[in-house]
Amino acid sequence: MSDKLPVIEDQPEICRSVDAGERSVWTRVMNRFADHCRARSLFVLHYCTGCGAIELPPTITSRFDMERVGVSPMVTPRQADILLITGYLSIKTLKRVILSYEQMQSPKYVIGFGSCTINGGMYWNSYATVKRLDQYIPADLFIAGCMPRPEAVQQVLLKLMEDIDAGKANGWQDYYNNYDRYLGNQQALFGESWHTPTDVIAEAKHYGYLADGTMGRHTDLLLKRADYALDRVPEDYPERGKNERRLP
Amino acid sequence: MSLLLRRRFFWEEIDLMSLLDILLLVAALLASGLFVLGRGSFAGWLATVVYGLMLAVLAIAGLALDSGVAFIPSAMSFEILGRNLGWRLDGLGWFFALLTVGAAFFASWYGSGEWGRKQKRMGLQHALLALNVLAMLLLLSSGDLLSLFIGWELVSWAAFAIMTQGGGPAVAAAYRYMIYALAGAMAVFAAIMLVQNVTGGLGFADLQTAISAMSTAQVWVLFILFAAGFGVKMALMPFHLWQAPAYSETPGASSAFLNAVSARMGLFALILVLVKLTGLEALGSLAIPFTFMSAKSALMWVAAITMVVPTFIALMQTDARMLLTWHGIGQGGYMLLGVLVGTSLGTAGGLMHVFNYATYQAALFLAVTAVIHRAGTSDLDELGGLITRMPWTYVTLLMGIIGLAGLPPMNGFVSKWMIYKSLLDGGQPLLLIMAFAATLGTILSVYKLIHNIFLGQLRREHQHLKEAPVSMVLPMLILAGIGFVTGFMPGLALNITDIAQRAIGGDMLPHHLGGVTLATGSLNMLWVVGVLIGAIGAGALIFYLLGNRRYEVHQFDNYAGGHFLSADIRYHFSHEFYPGLARVIGPWYRGSIVRAEQGIGILVNVAGDLWQAVFRVAYTPLYMLLVVVLGLVFTGSWGIVP
Repeated sequence: MSDKLPVIEDQPEICRSVDAGERSVWTRVMNRFADHCRARSLFVLHYCTGCGAIELPPTITSRFDMERVGVSPMVTPRQADILLITGYLSIKTLKRVILSYEQMQSPKYVIGFGSCTINGGMYWNSYATVKRLDQYIPADLFIAGCMPRPEAVQQVLLKLMEDIDAGKANGWQDYYNNYDRYLGNQQALFGESWHTPTDVIAEAKHYGYLADGTMGRHTDLLLKRADYALDRVPEDYPERGKNERRLP
Repeated sequence: MSLLLRRRFFWEEIDLMSLLDILLLVAALLASGLFVLGRGSFAGWLATVVYGLMLAVLAIAGLALDSGVAFIPSAMSFEILGRNLGWRLDGLGWFFALLTVGAAFFASWYGSGEWGRKQKRMGLQHALLALNVLAMLLLLSSGDLLSLFIGWELVSWAAFAIMTQGGGPAVAAAYRYMIYALAGAMAVFAAIMLVQNVTGGLGFADLQTAISAMSTAQVWVLFILFAAGFGVKMALMPFHLWQAPAYSETPGASSAFLNAVSARMGLFALILVLVKLTGLEALGSLAIPFTFMSAKSALMWVAAITMVVPTFIALMQTDARMLLTWHGIGQGGYMLLGVLVGTSLGTAGGLMHVFNYATYQAALFLAVTAVIHRAGTSDLDELGGLITRMPWTYVTLLMGIIGLAGLPPMNGFVSKWMIYKSLLDGGQPLLLIMAFAATLGTILSVYKLIHNIFLGQLRREHQHLKEAPVSMVLPMLILAGIGFVTGFMPGLALNITDIAQRAIGGDMLPHHLGGVTLATGSLNMLWVVGVLIGAIGAGALIFYLLGNRRYEVHQFDNYAGGHFLSADIRYHFSHEFYPGLARVIGPWYRGSIVRAEQGIGILVNVAGDLWQAVFRVAYTPLYMLLVVVLGLVFTGSWGIVP
């Protein structure tokens, strides 16, 4: 990779100013209640990359039957709460994962399934696969193993439910708060022209999670390429399509 | 109002003209005036105002008819071969006349603005529309069988003239229509001559005496001739093939007019001749030998098949106009079925469906014309996502299709409910199932219509589109609004159908503003619509009170299995919309009726060629031989040669 691209580094959490709404007792009680309810009705979008998918049918169907605890599969990201990514992610696949993740409605949770999502697993020295999923999208929980059994999936879903109930599964807020860092890592991998149709900054504003780390030098690159902004120059759609195909 | 009528108007002081005379005179003056002045930009607005005045005259006539006057006479009459030929408007004709002039009013309004200016010869279209109105008024106010036939022919030719205005394929479709219409007219003429033969008269009363004097076989012939002749205009199966292409190819505003009322002229004549004059009991006693069916039940089944098959053919259309016109054929079946049930509920339901259909079909056609005006096509495979560009057209189309599908809160629901209910009460479960099947097909296909035009992906070439101008949006919104108001308060429409029902005879349907109250079950639309709107309102209230946390995304921010979407990717699923259903009903296209039509066409062609060959080609020796042989046969068979 060329030295022009942003360097991936684990920056410390950027402190943000806490707004008055977060301090109010009413808001906290209501959020707590909403989390409690949310944890009891979860829809999972399975992003199966070619490995590990075989563990999911037994998890859902009669032997382990996740629906008895309120977890059931969903076909589209718009209606899903959990993005369950199984196995290794090639760079090309990661683009699609990010697209799907950004299309999910907040609050949303990510589970990385298998060693490949943690450290690259058996593909640790491959040039084309992603080593750490949580550099690109915020993962709430991982399941280690190659490959984990349905019991492990069950355990992690139950753990996620606990975390949601306790208000601790906040990866999605981290994505809004530190979007610039995540985008920087994505740009390091895909190039400076990388963008998705989702306007994450506007979404962060909408949900009230606009923080100091939301915008920065990486999102500035996004603004420089504002001619791709879909609402402004509709004539450039086909250009965007060609561009998309040209990328690996 | 009766007070007003008792006070003689100035034209009655000179005792020359009745309301009908005024109506016919105004229509004739308008038609001839528009032929002269049609090119002026004011012509359309002038015509609209005149139609508005004619509606006012009709309203006064309606009040007179409602107060118990049997009919409004006309001073116009002729004497032909010693027989009087006259015109008079009774309640039934008045009902259809109201719809005719109303439809012309909205079509003319629509055609007067921007849409009309884009047309090649709008002046001629205005004039032909006025001519159609005149012809229809003459038909609807006919006072005997001969004036009925004259009106019938005039309507056919006027419709033909307006159909040809589209040019190109429209001319071919209009020509096909004319062949059907002439065949139908000949059947009607034959039936009238049959009556004349038996009774020596051409009055409506002569038809009644003829039926009681005729043998069963003769009555059967009369019934088939009338049903087929009038059925052609109504596009009853199997005489339905002409209608969809002919009405679709007619230019927008005129097409909305034709769709709303033109085919209903056939229904008017069928009701007049078969229900009012012959009587449903006489039809019911006309048994088909060796079966359990009668002429009445056979016609009911024809109506039912007309309801189902064209509806599912409409489902397979890829052109918005063709889809709607095929539905027009299907909806005619509901009306005839309701009227033929014969109970007060069925007749009122069938007549109300005529009214309802006119409102929503005209609105739908005007909306589709607005789409054509802006997007340049009505091809359902080439549209999509127009809701953000043409929201009011979308609202009109949405209200229209709710009416067409027969769902609350629109008026189509009320009339369909009444027809279902009359079938249920009349002990016709199989016909009821047919009606349900047709409604299912309607719901599926109108979803296709609104989805393919307004929902889904907006194409790049439609990004710049704007809403249709006010002169187009307003008439169609008002039509849709009439559909909603008469759905919310069906009593308003039932008041109008009452006048027609009284003219037909039989029991009247007691009703109130909200619907009907029957011993076997009631319908109160005030409650139905109230609950519906209340529930939606409660949902909206909660949504907005919680802060309206709606967040709009771009249309390409859409899930396609992780694929990145752009304008060069078509993800709007519109082509081959119901593939599973298409496999089942696809064979209906290649159906026997199309083949039969082609077969008859080929037969006529061959016969014509033979005839032409005899006329045009001189085979002198052959003719000589023919004459000699025929002469020998003649003399031989008569024993001249020993």
